[in-house]
Amino acid sequence: MQIKDYIIRRLLTLPLLMVGVSIVVFALSRVGGSPIGIYIEHEMTQAEIAQVAERYGLNDSLPEQYFAWLGGVLTGDLGWSGVSVAPVADLLPAKLTATMELAVCAAIVAVILGISIGTFGGARRDKLGDHVSRVISISGASIPQFWFALLLLLLFYQYLGVAPLGRADPEIYASIAHPTGFYSVDALLNLDGRALWDAVSHLALPAMTMGYTSMAIIARMLRSSLVEQLGEDYVDAARAKGLPERLVVRRHARRNALVPTVTVIGLSWGFLLQGTVVVELIFNWPGIGRWMTDAVLQGDRATIMAYVLVTSVIFVVVNLVVDVIYVHLDRRVTLGA
Amino acid sequence: MVDVARTHAQGSLTAGRMEAFRTRALRWGGIVRDTLRNPTTAIGLAILTVIFAMAIFAPLIVAENPQGAMQMPRDWGAPNMPPGSPDHPLGTTPQGGDVLYGIVWGARTSLRLALTVVGITVLIGIAMGSIAGFLGGKWDEMVMRLVDVFLSIPELIFALAIAAALGPSFGNIILALAVVFWVKYARIMRGQILQIKQNEYVDAAYVVGESKWNVYRKDILPNSLTPIVVQATLDMGHVVLIGATLSFIGLAEAGLAEWGNLVSEGQSGIAAGMWWVATFAGGMVFLWSLAFNLVGDGLRDVLDPRTERR
Repeated sequence: MQIKDYIIRRLLTLPLLMVGVSIVVFALSRVGGSPIGIYIEHEMTQAEIAQVAERYGLNDSLPEQYFAWLGGVLTGDLGWSGVSVAPVADLLPAKLTATMELAVCAAIVAVILGISIGTFGGARRDKLGDHVSRVISISGASIPQFWFALLLLLLFYQYLGVAPLGRADPEIYASIAHPTGFYSVDALLNLDGRALWDAVSHLALPAMTMGYTSMAIIARMLRSSLVEQLGEDYVDAARAKGLPERLVVRRHARRNALVPTVTVIGLSWGFLLQGTVVVELIFNWPGIGRWMTDAVLQGDRATIMAYVLVTSVIFVVVNLVVDVIYVHLDRRVTLGA
Repeated sequence: MVDVARTHAQGSLTAGRMEAFRTRALRWGGIVRDTLRNPTTAIGLAILTVIFAMAIFAPLIVAENPQGAMQMPRDWGAPNMPPGSPDHPLGTTPQGGDVLYGIVWGARTSLRLALTVVGITVLIGIAMGSIAGFLGGKWDEMVMRLVDVFLSIPELIFALAIAAALGPSFGNIILALAVVFWVKYARIMRGQILQIKQNEYVDAAYVVGESKWNVYRKDILPNSLTPIVVQATLDMGHVVLIGATLSFIGLAEAGLAEWGNLVSEGQSGIAAGMWWVATFAGGMVFLWSLAFNLVGDGLRDVLDPRTERR
């Protein structure tokens, strides 16, 4: 199958997948019964309650309600956020950019850590260094994010007093223009060193937490494919011509080992997205993750539905992009099998 | 002529089954040996032994709370006690909960959570994967589309949304995790079945007139379980990690003797320098999950032919 056909087929299944996800999301919002509780107050009479139910279409059949909701989502109406007392769609963009800024930084941390630890272990197969790198990367996958975040907070915020909470110093944040909404990028565009330092110092701990807890899958995958590559003939050839082992690993084996590793970077993005829930809660980061935890604790269904839908779209799209990159990197991959 | 073919098939079937059985038996013997040879796996097993012992002998370590075993006892007269206090060796929470009780009985909670969720999801996953892989056709199509949809929502977020919809309780956390975690097993099972179906001994079984069910039961199921075992081992840790995260966020009953819950109770004390509650309880989640990951990773290295020792 041609690459173009494969990509087109994946793009065609994307909407179907999203319809499936939207049905799951809608079903979840109705599992706990009718959502009428959001709209009524204690002093309302039966007649008034019936009126409210009628107005919001809650007497319609479930499929009708589903299509009404889906129609709203497609036209940009994501419902009313109870926790924020505002329409979900109005608040989403700013919160989403805050989360994406954090997630992208964390992804950079995860990829750098994953590749260095994976290379270290793969090049020292079954030696002490391999075992150490295995424990470090598996620890990353095993450590509860809420615990790691609290430990970092305890050390850097409580004892050393060097790390701030939240996303920015409000005064510095207000002092620069925000063309992109990504604080660190905006600081660069404004050529404002103070704002850049502010952005980076706020990003450091949450990005470290999320990056370290998401890098294991990259490190493990790179390690095993590096081990595989190091057994190939071309590696022996490189060694035979007298290349130092370090260069054999870096220039030859690792380049090929990175190809299958690309696929798991998409998966690690899933860990990053779900990591925002706890990490934003603890570091007081004003993104969609903290919004979700607030919504969960207060039963704000519209926000929960929007959150699940939006993160799933991002997750699926990132994985699609990663697959396409993978196909380009490795033409030997048979598609659609 | 037909008889000759049947005899030949019978022979090939018996030989094939014997071969498959022999391979399995030899492999499992070798697996246990190879797994233990890896020092990090051995460390994982050692940690698990200690935690399991703690769960089993919980009443001998800390006396059961008369108000309910899974409920942390409250000592309202002594909140925020540091570790080393005479009545509370690991200190107390800001609400006077005994940290040692929460840790020891929390091991039982985690064991219950992990066994229930992994047990249920393995069964559902094997059933769904078998429907897809063995029956094929429109069954395969239906199951796999459902699997695709479930895999489009990141695990923790999906479980969080389900638990939120059902309302806060530990039982609902278990239910939410069960809904989310079967998908991987269904995928693994389907893949295994499609592979095994191509073996000669499976064709042979049909030729000698074995029923579909018998072929499935005797030839396909037992030969497809290896990767399920690896995944189940990893999930024993993963499920507790996510379950603890959900109860940390606040989806379990307040006061439940559970590690995530305990961290959440201790979180408020951190700003005042009371580090012990969150540190000890979160450390238990870490050790639990680390141990299962080390063992699962070791098992996978031994079982996965791609990383087999050369």
